[in-house]
Formats: sequence, C-alpha cells, structure tokens
Amino acid sequence: MVHLSSHLLKKYHGGFVVIRLALAGHKQANRPFYRIVAAHNKRARDSKYIEQLGSYDPLTNIYNEKLISFNFDRIKYWIGCGAHPTKPVAKLLGLAGFFPLHPMTLTEAERRRAQSELTKTTTGTEDGVVEGQKEVEV
Amino acid sequence: MFQVISGRSVQAARLLAPRSAVLVEAVRGRKSRSDPVAKSKEGRIKVPAPVDPEEMVVLKERYSEYQLILRALRLEFKEEVLQKKYEEETGSQAEQRVRQDTEEHRALMAWNNEENLRLLKLRMLRVQKEKEEAERKQIEAAVQREQEQEEFIKEKEREILQLQEDAKNFITLENLDERIEEVLDNPKNYNFAIDREGRVVKQTMLQ
Repeated sequence: MVHLSSHLLKKYHGGFVVIRLALAGHKQANRPFYRIVAAHNKRARDSKYIEQLGSYDPLTNIYNEKLISFNFDRIKYWIGCGAHPTKPVAKLLGLAGFFPLHPMTLTEAERRRAQSELTKTTTGTEDGVVEGQKEVEV
Repeated sequence: MFQVISGRSVQAARLLAPRSAVLVEAVRGRKSRSDPVAKSKEGRIKVPAPVDPEEMVVLKERYSEYQLILRALRLEFKEEVLQKKYEEETGSQAEQRVRQDTEEHRALMAWNNEENLRLLKLRMLRVQKEKEEAERKQIEAAVQREQEQEEFIKEKEREILQLQEDAKNFITLENLDERIEEVLDNPKNYNFAIDREGRVVKQTMLQ
C-alpha cells in the first residue's frame, strides 16, 4: 500500500489513517455535531486529527433536513493514500453518491419497511424495543 | 471473543462506557473480570442475534458487489494521487519553475552584491572622515596643551618678578636696626571709627 502521508506526523507502529466521525466539542448536552475527519487509527475519537474533510449534523433542522458536507477532493486523496472509512462514513458517502450504496442501508430500509407493514397489518401492541429497528444506526 | 455487532449492542456499550473518548464495541464496560454478575443478569444466556438465511444470501451478494466497486474506486484514487505526484515532480511546469527559481536566485544574489559594494563605499568614506576628525582633534589637543604650558610658564615668571620686586623691601639683618628705628620714629595709628551712614573718622585718641 502506498503510504504518502507527511513525515512530520507521529510514527505509530502498524497504525493507519481512518476517515471517521469525531464529535466536535461544543460541550452542549444532547446536541451532538460530528466532523468527518482523517485521523490516525490509534488516536482518541475527538483528539488531534490530520485534516477535516466535512461535517455531519445528526439532528434535523427546521426544514426537516440533515446537513452533511464533504470535501471530495481531499477524500479522494486520502483514500488514494490508503485511508479506511468507517461504517457510518461509508454509509453517508453511499447516500451522497460518491460511493455505491452500502448494503446495510438497503437491508435496514427493507427491515423497517417489513416492520411497518407488520404493524399496519396486525393492529395491536407490538414491542418494538426487542426488534430495535427504530433507532437510526449511524 | 466474537461479538455480533448490531445497532443495539453499540448503544448499550455507549450507555455503559463512561465519559471516555474511545467508543468501545465490547460489552465489557464498567466492570472488570473479577466483579460478580449483577442480580438482574444471573440466569441470562447471551444468544447471538437471529440471522435470516434469505436475507443473509442477499446481503452477501450485495456485499461482494459493494466490495468490488470499492476496491476499484480505491485503485482509481491511488492512481490519481500517483499521477498528481508525478506531474508535480517531473511535469512540464516543473522545469520552467526550476529555471525561474534559479534565475531569480541569481538576480537576487547580484543585487545583494551591488548593495554590499555600495555600503562598502559609504562605509569607507565614513571611516575616512572619522579618521580625519580624530587627527584634527588630536592636533588641537596638542596645541591646547602647548598653550597651557606656555601660560603656566608665564604665570610663574610673573610671580618670580613680583617676588623680586618685593625682595627689595624685605627686612634683612643689615636693615634691621634702621628699620626698627624708622618704625619707632613714626608711630602709625590704625584706629578709626565708623557709623551706620558710613562716615569714617580717623581722628582718635593718641596714646
């Protein structure tokens, strides 16, 4: 694998670069905001990263949309240098169109659809907690 | 220990784990190995999440396709990065840039040399002037000193002459008797009176 990252970065033994979500420390309870970031694998989630490649706001705004931003040029560079995107980042990129759609996105959607049909057909109390499909897995 | 990663367990781990920055995926959160099992979890048997075989087949198919496309994309991007690097180092612009840099460097060095020469000339002039100033001062100081010496000598000579003049009125052994008799013959009266207005009165009671 071609490793073209800068020589000024700290040397980790057997470490690699990942593209992942890091919480931007706004220090407000129940209001998360993520940055899409290229960082070393061994680093803590929120600590020093190599470069910021975008942002992701998990809560919907007043027009009922979730805002995500990507710096596609730099993402291409980092993936070319051998960075691994994590599952949520891969899903977001798939939804954006940069990657192909992640299989789990489709399967989750199908499961949810099946669930909603089930609840529609069988009227009555259904414990959705056991299925655990209501939570957004991102 | 193999742990099926589904949405629920990740959430559980997030709740269990304290305010640490690392997102752990194992369920071993707050407790260590030797801690006893909680009372509510005594008879619990952990079962992996149920797998739907049809869904699994479809999922495997989708995954293989996805990984294929992703691998292709990765190679593409690597190629692009290498291309850019190559272009940067040995492209058409690189030579031009190098030539421009060397020319600029030469021009700047020449200008620097000129500046140095100019400053050198100014410095030489300045140093010359300072030397001349110093010499002039030295000469002046010497002249001053000469003058002072002469003045000193003259002063001393004047004093000597004055002394010689005074010597004529000195009282010596030969003049002694004559002088005593002179003084005794003419008594001098130094007494006088003066009042607030300044009127001097030299006439006093003679002894």
